[in-house]
Amino acid sequence: MIVGHVRGHGHTLPNPDEHSKSHWFGRLDSRAKIVGVFSFVIVSALLTSAELIAASLVLAVAMATTSGIPLRPLSKAYAAALPFIVLASLSVFLFAGTERGLEMLGRTSACVVALLVLAFGTGTFDLFAGMRRLRVPSVISTLLMLTYRYILVVSEEFSRMRTARRARGFRGGRSLLDRYALKILSFTAGTVLVRSTDRAELVYEGLKCRGFSGDITVWRTSVLGRNDLAFLAVLIMSSCALALAQTEVMRW
Amino acid sequence: MVVLELRKVGYSYEDGTVALKDVDLAIEEGEKVAIVGPNGAGKSTLLHLIAGFRMPFQGEALVSGKRLSAPTADEIRNSIGLLFQDPDDQIFMPTVEEDVAFGPRNLKLGDIEDRVQRGMTSVGVASLAKRAPHRLSYGMKKRVAIAGLLAMDPNLLLLDEPTSGLDPRSRSELIKLLKSLKRTMLIATHDLEAASEIVDWAIVLNVEPVMKGTMHDLVRSSDVLEKTGLEMPPLPRIFRALEKRGYAIEALPLTTDQASAELTRLIDREATHVRRRMNGSH
Amino acid sequence: MHIPDGLMDPIVALVGTVEFLAIVGSALALSSRKTREKDLPRVAVLCAGIFVAQMLNFPVGGGTTGHLIGAALLAIMIGPVLAILGMTVVLIIQALMFGDGGITALGLNGLNMAIIAPLVGWGVYSLVHPISKGVGRAGDSIAVAAAAWASVFTAAAACAAELAVSYSVSDGAYGIAGAISVPAMLGYHAVIGIGEAVITVGVVAYVRAASPSAFLRTGVSPPTKTLLVRLTSSKVAMASVAILVVFALSLPFYFLYSSSGGDGLEQTMEDADVGERDQILSSPFSYGDGYFTALFAGLLGFLAVALAALGVLKLLGRGPKRD
Repeated sequence: MIVGHVRGHGHTLPNPDEHSKSHWFGRLDSRAKIVGVFSFVIVSALLTSAELIAASLVLAVAMATTSGIPLRPLSKAYAAALPFIVLASLSVFLFAGTERGLEMLGRTSACVVALLVLAFGTGTFDLFAGMRRLRVPSVISTLLMLTYRYILVVSEEFSRMRTARRARGFRGGRSLLDRYALKILSFTAGTVLVRSTDRAELVYEGLKCRGFSGDITVWRTSVLGRNDLAFLAVLIMSSCALALAQTEVMRW
Repeated sequence: MVVLELRKVGYSYEDGTVALKDVDLAIEEGEKVAIVGPNGAGKSTLLHLIAGFRMPFQGEALVSGKRLSAPTADEIRNSIGLLFQDPDDQIFMPTVEEDVAFGPRNLKLGDIEDRVQRGMTSVGVASLAKRAPHRLSYGMKKRVAIAGLLAMDPNLLLLDEPTSGLDPRSRSELIKLLKSLKRTMLIATHDLEAASEIVDWAIVLNVEPVMKGTMHDLVRSSDVLEKTGLEMPPLPRIFRALEKRGYAIEALPLTTDQASAELTRLIDREATHVRRRMNGSH
Repeated sequence: MHIPDGLMDPIVALVGTVEFLAIVGSALALSSRKTREKDLPRVAVLCAGIFVAQMLNFPVGGGTTGHLIGAALLAIMIGPVLAILGMTVVLIIQALMFGDGGITALGLNGLNMAIIAPLVGWGVYSLVHPISKGVGRAGDSIAVAAAAWASVFTAAAACAAELAVSYSVSDGAYGIAGAISVPAMLGYHAVIGIGEAVITVGVVAYVRAASPSAFLRTGVSPPTKTLLVRLTSSKVAMASVAILVVFALSLPFYFLYSSSGGDGLEQTMEDADVGERDQILSSPFSYGDGYFTALFAGLLGFLAVALAALGVLKLLGRGPKRD
């Protein structure tokens, strides 16, 4: 049974940053979003009772629909996560019955939807800046920010290469036995990496030219406002409620 | 005040290739100087060396009187602004204003707000303050990079091929901008036209310095241009051709203003000749 | 192989997160001494490259496509410590930008793809390369191919194991039954691994030819030659340590599994290449714990013999050279 684990991002990066300020969710402080959504996801991953899972799923979907985030990219990304979810649920259906299967389906979906709302509703750089303010070590946060910055650059170079490739008739291969196709793919990947390392020298110099000393922080830092605290409160409280209910269930 | 002084500066790569040899240079405050030369002549290397990224090197380099060496490189670099050929190599933040503020904030300078505003306004990107740099055009990205450098208030601006890759409109706007900035500049370029518009004098570099002088001197030296593979820009070339045909040209013009002035003079002179001949033959 | 939240048993996820944080923490500590400020941009830019390369589709056959993981590639290029950090960064970005991989599952995903995959990749490469070098130009490619395939396959095996353990520990509420997870994960990734191997070989060859300085030297030249220092600068020793670490990581899961009263683990599987063994959990068939213990002991014994043999070869002067 071949599982088609195709990551549904396609070849163009969806850019959440473009729209992230146009809806209320996007305007929330990223720290509040991180703490709130993470708490929700962590608790939801622990739920085993059907009613609680349903409740968390409803909450997650409600958050998604009210957030103002365009739903199509969200659904596409959800669909991309499905292979594992389906595989799991299938095995649970087969081995442990329908109810358990549905619980698996619901639980993973609730978590995935919540995380997707966070991912698509927040500018990526904002997320990393928020993480830094939440005391994530500067090595990690700087690496994240720089890597993200260069993902944007490298993916543009890459799509230019793909277009050039296609313009010269390359249509992708049919199987692993297609040595020519794999060779072209390696060359593409190789070129991307070589260009990356060449650029790295200059990036280092560019950073030093501007006084970089290991930590990248944001100038216009946001302050926690009423909306942020309200959002945080709602999510924390629902997470606590779910958690308490789950412990009750477990005692049974 | 001498902002930059290079004495017999040389540099070789790890594999032994000589990139620079015996470079002597002195730039006064407020001067704008060009380093012209073909590709591979070492222009970029020289700029990066001055910014303290090519250690160790031969000879001596003094920036605002301070001697450049491994321990002083970081400090000296803070007073230099280096514009890279590819702006993507030096733009790091998600919005224009954040990126312009990046340098001053790292250097812990005062009144960031003011610096950022002035920097953005002087290059004309103030209206793009909240935009994402990676979505801007190449020309705009260059300007954002320049704004970021200006906000740090450098004593010396080093610009690596600033006009390369720009479309004609962006190029002329950038030339205008660089002309208007009152900063000490060293511009590495093979765009002789742009150099002519902007700089006070130039040095021709082909690993070693070949010649030093004004741009006018430069375009007169056809053998130097020949040897270093540089092309005389179209304007002086036309007038050189006219000169060869026997017309008297005062100075080979480098800019369109100079050209129209010279052409007008030429036409007037010729018109006078023609009139005299006509009158004379009567 | 990015696992979403809610799939793994919470305790398994917790164990995974603890192990992951511990190892990443050590990698951070190790790197801040060795890593010059200069390497940060290089790692970031390479990670960006790996990230984009991960979006490359390669054809598997029958209309399906697979994706690169790139852990072995990264480890060969910048060494295991930085590769751990790099893959971690890539995973975090994938989770927070696309929701690809969960956050409670970040520990397990990190374990599989950011720790096991690069360590196995680098370990196999370091062990095979000195031997295969003698075979000529193809020698390096053999080592790279083995490393890449092993890294994918081992990561998949670990993932399958975690799924199976989750399943049995939670009585079916979480995870995927071993009877499905193991053949599915291993079968699919055995094939995917081939694609990864082929492409990694091609990429490494290309990069070596185009820009050999892209490879960071991972050796350290110590001023004094104490045993510890000699050991840590010997790639072979470090490689063996890496592989042993990978197995050590799996022990808690084994104990979880057996403590739940589940059936014993069956440890089988021999890779096509040098002495590399993976774990496979196969539930719900019962083999006694004794069988497992014997097999595990056998594995360690094999490794010990292999190391000894390599040591002997080195003494004879035909072994691996220190970096």
